Amino acid sequence: MNCEQMHERLPDYLVDDLDESERTQAHLHLSACPRCRETADRFLEIWRKLEMLSAEEPGVALRARFDAMLEAYTQGLGEARTDALRQRFDRWIGGFWPRRPAYQVGLCSLFLLLGLAIGHIVKSRPSANGELAELRQEVHNMYQLVTLSLLQQQSASERIRGLSWSQRVSQPDPQVLSALLQVLDYDPNANVRLAAVDALQQFSDQSMVRQGLVQALTRQSSPLVQIALIDLLVQIQEKRSVDTFKRMIADENLNDAVKQRAERALKQLS
Amino acid sequence: MNSPADHAVMLEVRDGDVTKLGLLFERYQAALFNFFLRLTGNRQTSEDLVQDVFFRMLKYRHTYQDGSDFTTWMYQIARNVRFDCFRKRKREVMLNEEENERVSPGPGPGEKLEREQELVLLRGALARLPEEKREVLVLSRFQNLKYDQIAKILCCDVGTVKVRVYRAVRELGEIFFRLSGERVS
Repeated sequence: MNCEQMHERLPDYLVDDLDESERTQAHLHLSACPRCRETADRFLEIWRKLEMLSAEEPGVALRARFDAMLEAYTQGLGEARTDALRQRFDRWIGGFWPRRPAYQVGLCSLFLLLGLAIGHIVKSRPSANGELAELRQEVHNMYQLVTLSLLQQQSASERIRGLSWSQRVSQPDPQVLSALLQVLDYDPNANVRLAAVDALQQFSDQSMVRQGLVQALTRQSSPLVQIALIDLLVQIQEKRSVDTFKRMIADENLNDAVKQRAERALKQLS
Repeated sequence: MNSPADHAVMLEVRDGDVTKLGLLFERYQAALFNFFLRLTGNRQTSEDLVQDVFFRMLKYRHTYQDGSDFTTWMYQIARNVRFDCFRKRKREVMLNEEENERVSPGPGPGEKLEREQELVLLRGALARLPEEKREVLVLSRFQNLKYDQIAKILCCDVGTVKVRVYRAVRELGEIFFRLSGERVS
C-alpha cells in the first residue's frame, strides 16, 4: 500500500471498515511512513473528539405536537375520503345526464310521468292506512258494546263504569246516546244519574243530547242531579231550558237550593 | 438502526394505517432531532424540522416503495426539509458561531475545564465547516449510517462520500487545531 492508497482508505480506516488484509497493509504502511502516520493520527484524534458532542433529548412537547398533527391529518383524511366519494357519485350521476337541453326536458318529463304513475298506483292500492282505519273502527265498536253492556248491569258501580267507558267513544251511535239519556232519566241510583250528566257533557254538541238534557230536568227528583243538570244547561247555553227553569221556580215544592240555582240560571240565559 | 420492522411499519402507514407513524416517530425523533441540532445549532428549529419531516412522511407516504430503505428515505426527506427551511430563513439556521466563541475558558487548570474548552472549540470548528462537509460528517459520525446508505441519501456514489468524509475530517482538524493554537497563543 502506498501513500495515495493509504489516504484513500482513511475514511474506511476511521470507521474500522477495512477487511483483514487491508487493515494489515494499512498498519504496515503507517509504521513505515511517518507522514501518513501523522495524518492518520490527526484524523483519528478529531474523529474521536467528535464523541464529545453527545446527543441531546428533544423536548417533551415534540411528541404532543406530533400527536396533534397526526390527529388533524387523520381527521382531514376522513373528510377528504367523504368528499372523494361524493364527487365520484356526482360524476356517476352526471354521466347519465344528457348534454342537449331538448333531451334534458325530455328526461324531466319522463321522471314527472313516472312519479305521477307511481303516485296513482300507490293511491289505488288498499293501503296500510285503510287497514288502520278499519282497526280503529273495530275498537270503537267494541267500546260502544262494552258501554251498552255495562249500562244494563244490576250493580250501580258497573253502570257507572259503563258511563266512564262511554267517554272513550269519540263518535257514539244514537243507540249509545239514547242508552245514556235513558240512564239519566230512569236510573234508580242518583249517583249513576249524576255520572250520566257528566258523561253526556262530552256529547252536548249533539241536538239529541241537548233536548234529552232539557227533558230530563223535568223528570229529576234528586236536587244534586237537578243542580248538575242546570249547571250543564247554562254551560252549553241551551235556551230551550228557560221554560223549564220558569216552571221549576214556580213549583212551591222544589228544593230551595235548586230554586235559587234555577233563578240564577234564568238570569244567565236571558 | 434501520430494521425490517421499520420497513413493515412504513408500508402499513403507506397503505392507510397512518396512526402507525407514531411508532416510527418514537424510534427516530431523537436521531432526527440531533441530526438537525448538529447542523443548525438551534433546538427550537430542530424540533420544528423533526415535526416537518414526519408531516412530509404522511403527505408523501405513497412515494415509499416496497423496495425502499426506510432510513434512507427518512434522511432524504430530512435533507429536503432542511434545505427548504434554510432557503426560507437563511439567517436563523446559521450556526451561531459568535456564541460558540463567546464562551471563553476561565483561569485555572483541570481536566474538566480542558474538556469544556475542547468542546467549545470543536463546536466552533464544526460551525465553520462548509455546509456540505458538515452534513456528510454528521451523517457518518453521528447518525450511524454506512457510506453506502449516505451515498443513497446524497444521491451520489460511495467513492464520492468517502472523498467528502476525508476532506471534511481533514478540514475540521485543521480548523480545530488552528483554533486550539489561537487559544494557546
